Amino acid sequence: MSKEITVHLKIWRQKNRQDSGRFEEYTLNGVSQDQSFLEMLDQLNVKLVRDGKEPVAFDSDCREGICGSCSCMINGQAHGPEKETTTCQLHMRSFNDNDTIVIEPWRARAFPVIKDLVVDRSSFDKVIASGGFVSVNTGNAPDASAVLVSKENADKAMDAAACIGCGACVASCPNASAMLFVSAKISHLALLPQGQVEAQKRANSMVKTMDEMGFGNCTNHAECEASCPKGIDLSNIARMNREYFKAKIASEE
Amino acid sequence: MSFDLDSKIPEGPIQEKWTKHKFDSKLVNPANKRKYSVIVVGTGLAGASAAASLAELGYNVKSFCYQDSPRRAHSIAAQGGINANKNYQNDGDSTWRLFYDTVKGGDYRAREANVYRLAEVSGNIIDQCVAQGVPFAREYGGYLTNRSFGGAQVSRTFYAKGQTGQQLLIGAYQSMMRQVGLGKIQMYARREILDIVVIDGKARGVIVRDLVTGDIERHVADAVILASGGYGNVYFLSTNAMGSNVGAAWKAYKKGAGFANPCFTQIHPTCIPQSGDHQAKLTLMSESLRNDGRVWVPKEKGDKRHPNDIPEEERDYYLERIYPAFGNLVPRDVASRQAKFRVDENKGVGNTGVAVYLDFAEAIKRDGRDTIAAKYGNLFEMYQRITDESPYEQPMRIYPAVHYTMGGLWVDYNLQSTIPGLHVLGEANFSDHGANRLGASALMQGLADGYFVIPYTLGHYFGKNEIKKVDTTHPEFQKSEDEVRARTKKFLGINGSRSADEFHRALGKIMWENVGMSRNEQGLKKAISDIQQLRKEFWEDLRVPGTNEELNNELEKAGRVADFLELGELMARDALTREESCGGHFREESQTPENEALRDDEKFAHSAVWEFKGENQEPVRHREELKFEHVPLTQRSYK
Amino acid sequence: MIATHNYFTSSIGKKQIMALTGFGLIGFVLTHLAGNFFILVGPDAFNYYAYKLTSNPLIYVAEAVLAGMFIGHIVLAVLLKLQNMGARPQSYFTKVRTGRGETIASGTMPYTGLILMIFLILHLLNFKFGTEYYTVVDGVKMRDLYKTVIEYFANPLYVAWYVFAMLCLGLHTSHGFQSMFQTWGLNHKKYTPAIQTLSSAYGIFVALGFSGLAIYCYFQN
Repeated sequence: MSKEITVHLKIWRQKNRQDSGRFEEYTLNGVSQDQSFLEMLDQLNVKLVRDGKEPVAFDSDCREGICGSCSCMINGQAHGPEKETTTCQLHMRSFNDNDTIVIEPWRARAFPVIKDLVVDRSSFDKVIASGGFVSVNTGNAPDASAVLVSKENADKAMDAAACIGCGACVASCPNASAMLFVSAKISHLALLPQGQVEAQKRANSMVKTMDEMGFGNCTNHAECEASCPKGIDLSNIARMNREYFKAKIASEE
Repeated sequence: MSFDLDSKIPEGPIQEKWTKHKFDSKLVNPANKRKYSVIVVGTGLAGASAAASLAELGYNVKSFCYQDSPRRAHSIAAQGGINANKNYQNDGDSTWRLFYDTVKGGDYRAREANVYRLAEVSGNIIDQCVAQGVPFAREYGGYLTNRSFGGAQVSRTFYAKGQTGQQLLIGAYQSMMRQVGLGKIQMYARREILDIVVIDGKARGVIVRDLVTGDIERHVADAVILASGGYGNVYFLSTNAMGSNVGAAWKAYKKGAGFANPCFTQIHPTCIPQSGDHQAKLTLMSESLRNDGRVWVPKEKGDKRHPNDIPEEERDYYLERIYPAFGNLVPRDVASRQAKFRVDENKGVGNTGVAVYLDFAEAIKRDGRDTIAAKYGNLFEMYQRITDESPYEQPMRIYPAVHYTMGGLWVDYNLQSTIPGLHVLGEANFSDHGANRLGASALMQGLADGYFVIPYTLGHYFGKNEIKKVDTTHPEFQKSEDEVRARTKKFLGINGSRSADEFHRALGKIMWENVGMSRNEQGLKKAISDIQQLRKEFWEDLRVPGTNEELNNELEKAGRVADFLELGELMARDALTREESCGGHFREESQTPENEALRDDEKFAHSAVWEFKGENQEPVRHREELKFEHVPLTQRSYK
Repeated sequence: MIATHNYFTSSIGKKQIMALTGFGLIGFVLTHLAGNFFILVGPDAFNYYAYKLTSNPLIYVAEAVLAGMFIGHIVLAVLLKLQNMGARPQSYFTKVRTGRGETIASGTMPYTGLILMIFLILHLLNFKFGTEYYTVVDGVKMRDLYKTVIEYFANPLYVAWYVFAMLCLGLHTSHGFQSMFQTWGLNHKKYTPAIQTLSSAYGIFVALGFSGLAIYCYFQN
């Protein structure tokens, strides 16, 4: 059932933010196809440490496809070749014996490389801090069933809220645009009565912060949707565009 | 140092304790709150909800996490749901029942008053989360829906697809980020806590390492809150995140915080079995699967046939056979242990023989594939991604894995540890789950602590105590920083031959074999000496490449493994001295004729609280006696 | 950026203006094509149509609006492209399309746009400001634009260039048309697939329509 393969890795190595970076090549034998992609990198790192070399830095935490830590452009695709799959959930059975695998970090002005494959995605947190919430203090809430929410909207909100903030949308967008991420949050909250109250204010401030962070513009390629490990779809961007336009007509600023 | 284990449970009937306590608590007036500062370690459900709630009240909060964003804390991986006493289903739930179930489920090793409070505030959590925009599952009429979960006989579990933890965490994270935007929380991501600073007997700060630059930073505050999660990673393979660690709690223990019931670990019955030695972590499959899946093994030992080729009459649906009343829905500890027994009998399945089947064939036949796909589709996909097998076509293979730790830093009713000013929330404390946690209760506890308990009890602490002004130039900070730097230097200087991961793996093996699902005196003693030996080797043969002044994963791991190597020994000691079985702690010497856990309430109706006495010295075991006035002590039975 | 976020400099605002001007241009292209079909009717019909169109005083207003749309569309395109390039200072060494998102049409928008801009300038020089012949229809003296057109398309190279440009136009508009709806937030589970089909149909129609007429003119020589 499980087969062992050899892979040739071409990995981006960059010492720190200032370093200009370069590719280094490694050959790794005895990779089980039942292994996950990151376990393959773990295996490489054990080897590198044993050989007295510096291991490859990469982000990962939950390894269940939900925390959004892992990233990596794998053979030119964000999170690799499988649909709706994070790098940590990608398995080596997606690769063949003697394949060459090119691994790069996410590349975007708003996601500077920290080291090797690790990038700084704090710009996402800044966008959320600027409006990606419902302004409710602990203790304010009425009974949970006091406000009804249609199942359809609750489900749509859930689909948008499934975003894990990994940044694959930015990474795969030809323009390094963050609109799928931002719109998923705007949609999630605008679809619920609890979030509707400040929907326009939210759209306004989140788009403003998004622009300030240096992300690109959306040109409707849908690469973000295609790369999103959680299947967040483009209708969210449309909703954001609508909300933003409404906010701009309505606002007195 | 005196070890004060006064639980500070308020007087009065249990239903009124919390109300009365809130009234009796000291308050800090709104204008004065902004003069106080609080450090919150961890941004999971407990940490994020605490940070947000405290900042909303006006306190100045500094929040720390090791991840690159607070949104990634491991609460995010919780799948199944969150319990609450709402009784929206009209099926007889109540605060009392939730309280009762939790105390009983914990096998009578939790403090009644704390558990009652947890049940009491559980409904408020759902209200709060809905107000934040958490998209809980709803009925067509727009009302919230519930499911039955983890052995409960009422439907009290609220859920958001199979991503409840994620949605709750994002709700808390968003509230927290709102306060970041308002300037009330200063967020420090990619920071590891390397020491807790105690000044004049009170917790006053932390020493942290910036994981990107390696800078060692000092942070001072008027109180410190640890919400740093559990220590399941001591087993190397667990469902915890790669970075989950005991560092902050362990440093607190060494500074005088009691560590309670460290041996109480939860082995979750439905995880994807290990496939090989390359594996770095295990993946949980939500317990909700047991609502429709049937657990079985072949009746024949060593039966290697494909599961679909094994006829019905040659299958042993052992949970249904042994526990006709609860069937596949028995509590986690029971289900896990029974799986282990089957594997020990050589009836395990799959390539490794270390797994049992969880079969959906009947449910698919009964409800149709679409219905099952709607309920579990995402879990089935995840399973298939990992194992390359489709649960629609053949039974899942599952096996227990370390999932949660009920033990943790001892806290009183105010969630304060034995160090004044050091409060501990969520999985990091020991308080509410006793010896076994029920499904969908961890999320409830984390949020209860953060949203509805600490905002009151921290105010009480500030109101009652005089907090002297100190800053980071205090000699205690210097001392802590020196120690931290010396330790880092030591890691980098050993220059041995083995990586931190290799030691971690070895530790995990010792722990799993001897301090795992089934424990005995001999094994525990062996574990203690094996760990001591391994620890010695660690400090002689560790290899950490690179320097401190850069992002250095290996250095981070070394620090975490060093802590686990000490904690593992304490866990074994705790398990050794608790000569009874209870919940997740199963001592082979103490079992009923039917191999069920047999408690010894005469001798062990207490929490064991360990006091650190110095490096390489035996810690001292203290006890906090537990009184059961409302839930009568009975042998748990799920037959 | 200043405290208030200006709609016209915001990412979404710019895109929406792009979409709006694009919408206008799509309409213009369609009417232009409709007019061109007079070629099939004959020289007089075509020349008379052109005469009627250009002798109406409102034409100056229309031309100003049209010019405004073109310039707006182009300036914003350049601005957005520069910003987008700046958003990824270091490009990937290996970048593969998922095959589920970016299409040839969407991926080549800036390039087809550039070609169309060049085409537009040449087109104006060749026809609007091209050789002026005169003719008389129904006793009215007017420009014999028909002759200019037929003469121009006598050269197969010109035909080829024209057809190439019109294919670019088809490609450009087939993405632009549907993209406009998305940018304006008009995305609907039921209608969006229809809009996408319509968008492709539009692109094919204008590409074939213009090219077909050019080839027709070639064979008139």
